[in-house]
Amino acid sequence: MNNVKVSTKNVNVHYGTKQALHRVTLDINEKEVTALIGPSGCGKSTFLRCINRMNDLIDICKVDGSITVDNEEIISDEVDVVSLRSKIGMVFQKPNPFPKSIFDNVAYGPTIHGIVETKTDLEEIVHSSLKRAGLLKEVKDRLHEPGTSLSGGQQQRLCIARAIAVNPDIILMDEPCSALDPIATATIEELIDELKNKYTIVIVTHSMQQAARVSQRTGFFHLGELVETGETQKIFTNPENEKTQGYITGRFG
Amino acid sequence: MSNQFSHEKIIQLRKKRSAADRRFKTYGLIATVIGMAILFFLLFTIFSKGYSSFQKTVIELDVTFDQETLKITPNATYEEQVEAKFFKVKKNAIANALPDLSKKDIKLMKKMFSINVDKEIKEYFLQNPNILNTTQKLLVTAHSDVDQMLKGNAKRNIEEKKRKLNDRQLEFFDEFVFTGRLKSKFNNFFFTNADSRHPELAGIAGSFVGSLFTLITVFLLAFPIGIGASIYLEEFAPKNKFTELIEVNIANLAAVPSIVFGLLGLGILLNVFGFPRSTPLVGGTVLALMTLPTIIIACRASLKAVPPSIKEGALAMGASKMQAVFHHQVPLALPGTLTGTIIGLAQALGETAPLIMIGMIAFIPNIPTGFTEPSAALPVQIYLWVESAERGFQEKTAAAIMMILIFLFLMNAIAVFLRSRFERKW
Repeated sequence: MNNVKVSTKNVNVHYGTKQALHRVTLDINEKEVTALIGPSGCGKSTFLRCINRMNDLIDICKVDGSITVDNEEIISDEVDVVSLRSKIGMVFQKPNPFPKSIFDNVAYGPTIHGIVETKTDLEEIVHSSLKRAGLLKEVKDRLHEPGTSLSGGQQQRLCIARAIAVNPDIILMDEPCSALDPIATATIEELIDELKNKYTIVIVTHSMQQAARVSQRTGFFHLGELVETGETQKIFTNPENEKTQGYITGRFG
Repeated sequence: MSNQFSHEKIIQLRKKRSAADRRFKTYGLIATVIGMAILFFLLFTIFSKGYSSFQKTVIELDVTFDQETLKITPNATYEEQVEAKFFKVKKNAIANALPDLSKKDIKLMKKMFSINVDKEIKEYFLQNPNILNTTQKLLVTAHSDVDQMLKGNAKRNIEEKKRKLNDRQLEFFDEFVFTGRLKSKFNNFFFTNADSRHPELAGIAGSFVGSLFTLITVFLLAFPIGIGASIYLEEFAPKNKFTELIEVNIANLAAVPSIVFGLLGLGILLNVFGFPRSTPLVGGTVLALMTLPTIIIACRASLKAVPPSIKEGALAMGASKMQAVFHHQVPLALPGTLTGTIIGLAQALGETAPLIMIGMIAFIPNIPTGFTEPSAALPVQIYLWVESAERGFQEKTAAAIMMILIFLFLMNAIAVFLRSRFERKW
């Protein structure tokens, strides 16, 4: 059993007067893939964005409750979101490489956080990050071409390389494969499987097959509530809750 | 085959719809043709009236530089040469422009030459001092009345009283033309001189430089302030009633008549803060106020057009808000902002009313060399010339309009270039 990396207790999220999450209590283990599944609008992405405080960007969004990362409370005004986000990488639904070169995309994080001293170090980080994201072979001869010139799947892997370049502890993935074709999806899934040896991964996905393939633990959200959480295998074979049963068997959602 | 679409009524409707399509296309075509025709008519009028301004008329004159008249010795110093009596040399030359001129004739003859002739003779001599005691054939500038007559802008088959040149002067004119001593030359004065009371000497250099200084002031003030305000309002400002009020007022400000800004400049910049009157500094400041809303609106629109995913990506990487804005959003918004800025500057270039209010309408016969020197501006120059009674200023007006159009065209070309050069895809 792995250590708990992220722990949430009674997290409520309000968008204005509308409550999007109701008392979500969930533990995320270190060096595991935790999948969050559920029908559209159930709050799984909202929950994901609480972990790196991306909900701060939305003015009307209010988060209360408790979230700890490495036993440190992060729902507090004193928390430095910049250092928090440097520890927590994020990959978005739609690949969003910066309109810069492939090299600059990956080099951006290390540069702004000042974790490299020399140009050689930076090049090394860029190469190793691209390699870990399984992209180096495809792009090593065109590192100075724009990141946006890559295919969708390559762009998403570039975003993963960008995220791991600052060596975070946790990687949040918000439906990383929903804009990709099956082959690109398979590549990303393989990558996730490898990355879990080093990082704690939380992945939001629409595809139950994907959750079953890549995750060790799964949480099922419905209407803003965490209905059930547990080992992936158990959730998919022998769920305790009726709603979970209904969702995974395709009766709704 | 009988389906629902072959129904009689439906066929009729379909015919009606395609007829409406065709009709609309025709209307559009007609509108475009009318617009183009008006534009071409405008350009044609301006060019046909203005092109003659690029030519000036010169008269070949035999000038005798004898040392008695000039009152200098062959080994005179430069200072002495400068002080020499060139006006006497000119007087003699004009008196002998044609043989056997009476005193009255000489007076009339004098009026056919520009007052600049003294200076031209002097400059010629100072460049070639070894021509002392020789007679030289010089091409000197003719008076505007002669110039206009040669260009055919002035009518000669009208009553003597209504003519600028009287019958005797016309005889001289014909004699000059007959002997080939009246020539057309490229009018360098138009490009190198400032305004003048004499049409043959008036040029746009003064107002051009004045406009340039004014635009530089506008750019230096409006661009940084505009970008700063846009970035703050778009990215950092809290969204509340107060910022909403500011936003609405910026949009309102863009619609304020320009003369109001001129009054503001007069009332506050000149009278309260004591800025120097009629200068590019105060003109530029007033126009900067006028251009600000345009720049802010353009800049905010381009910032809004940057996909939020880029900013989210940067923030999720742990970039601070300022880094996310300045590393990613501002560079992407820059082409649009620059385009907006140039459009704002082009607007400022053509603006006349506020400049009149702050005194840039004054007659300034020299080229300004700084931001705090009295100066004219191109549109005001046009306004001044179009008001002038002398016929010679008419062609200047058209030519000045051509210049301002070329200036505008260049600025828009830069805007298009910047847009295509820096526009990035995402």
